[in-house]
Amino acid sequence: MEQNQRTDYILCECPLDNLTGFVGDLSVHYPLNLLKAPRLCLTMIQAEDSVEYQPFYLGEALTTTCEVAINKTVGYGICLGDEPERAYCLAVLDAVMALNDAQAPAIDRFLAEQLRLIQHREETELSHIMRTKVDFKLMEQA
Amino acid sequence: MGYVAVKGGTDAIANSIELVEFYRIKDETPPIHIRQLQAQFRLAIDKIMGEGSFYAPEYGALALKQVEGDVLEAAFIMRAFRATLPRLYYSAVIDTRNMFVQRRISSSFRDIPGGQILGPTYDYTQRIIDTRLADESYEQVQAFLQQFSARISETDRKAITTFGKVIDMLRAQGLLKGVGNRDDESEEGRRLVDITREAIKFPAPRSARLQMLARAETGGLMALGYSSMRGYGGVHPTVGELRVGLVDVTVSDPTGRSRYIGRVRVTEAEMITKAKTGKKSERSAGSVPYYAIGYGLCFGQNETKAICMGILDRAMRNGTKEAPANDQEFVLYHTDGIEAMGFTNHLKLPHYVTFQSGLNNVRRAVARSKKQAEANAASAPEPPMATDATASPGDAERMPSEVLTEL
Repeated sequence: MEQNQRTDYILCECPLDNLTGFVGDLSVHYPLNLLKAPRLCLTMIQAEDSVEYQPFYLGEALTTTCEVAINKTVGYGICLGDEPERAYCLAVLDAVMALNDAQAPAIDRFLAEQLRLIQHREETELSHIMRTKVDFKLMEQA
Repeated sequence: MGYVAVKGGTDAIANSIELVEFYRIKDETPPIHIRQLQAQFRLAIDKIMGEGSFYAPEYGALALKQVEGDVLEAAFIMRAFRATLPRLYYSAVIDTRNMFVQRRISSSFRDIPGGQILGPTYDYTQRIIDTRLADESYEQVQAFLQQFSARISETDRKAITTFGKVIDMLRAQGLLKGVGNRDDESEEGRRLVDITREAIKFPAPRSARLQMLARAETGGLMALGYSSMRGYGGVHPTVGELRVGLVDVTVSDPTGRSRYIGRVRVTEAEMITKAKTGKKSERSAGSVPYYAIGYGLCFGQNETKAICMGILDRAMRNGTKEAPANDQEFVLYHTDGIEAMGFTNHLKLPHYVTFQSGLNNVRRAVARSKKQAEANAASAPEPPMATDATASPGDAERMPSEVLTEL
């Protein structure tokens, strides 16, 4: 996963309250201009079969998209679902991170903390899933 | 016969809509929250999203509530809602090899890379109604969740991982290849078609077939998949691998950067079949048997659908139309639930004019028949013996008019 995808992954998967709280505090430092308010749209999802690699369209997914600008730096927020607040926060952080200014360390700390929470949640889920792994034994071992 | 334009029913329709709303809530039970539906009717919503071809769990729950639990009707609403939104993005190809696996099994091999993981499934439950759920309380839910969470300690925690595919083992050994269907390997056959933008023609490119199967109705796919397994088409595969889980979705933003936008749950089925290498007598010395797959992939956890999609993908590549499941047009035109339901339900709409026209034809035929019978009776030397003591000569005339009165 590329670095910007990693950031998007954290921002898309972290709890919404944490994200809106952080972006709310961050926003006071910037002259934000809402270019395109969050709106619903579709993403057509592409798939392919796993042997012949024949691409095909699986179906569409509900998506929210948003654009903001800080001076001339445009930030784009895109996420699955009907998530206007998250899309807005993604757009703000996209623009702020492009500036790479004094807020960068705070953003890095926020991302690291959210990543830790997400990993904990996913590891917990996977641990429960792995409890359903079949332990095969030969009949005479049973 | 002339046409007579009629109008009316506006009040009746408005009152019918109000009445069905009344039937939905007349017992004055607490309204069901969308979040409750989304959380507790996961599989129904997965089916709605798959058949509606629209991944949006929160709206799937809303549609389910709106139509009192009719999954097909809910899928119809989802597909209609989808048509109101602009499509702004196309995702990169999703990578099921990097899936966050929630369940994966193989019926081809006992030992598979990473092991057989049963995950959340009703396959191993006894199909006995659980009366305890009738009085399920919030306290019971909490107690179960606490107990369940306690099963994992910090030391038991597993690191996130992905799982190698079963079919990759077979492929590495040279035992698994493409089906070898010439039509599908041509430039046209491999073209990426979007059936929501381009009318389908037969033979259809494989991309169009897979897209149609992915949004087909589960029951329709199961009926035709089952027919093939029973011998009508002869695809009786083995589950190479069935996996359910979350896959990442990425798109390009307006600057061209690849962006992660979330995950969707999918079910993938790789159905292994033996590829046809020709009749024994026709086989060249170098022609050795091999395996191929039928591919199934759909939104949500819907294993029956993914398996049957895989069977039908394979069946339609057999190169014959000897069975319904092998016939592209038969399979694809009859398994789209929304179209099939729409056509079936149009029968409920007024057909007064067409039916009247047919009725007039029947009346004329009956009158002609009566006239002929009378002419025959007049010219005959002796009246024929009645064979049915209960029937009277006027029956043929009366029946239609009685039916007419009923109509």
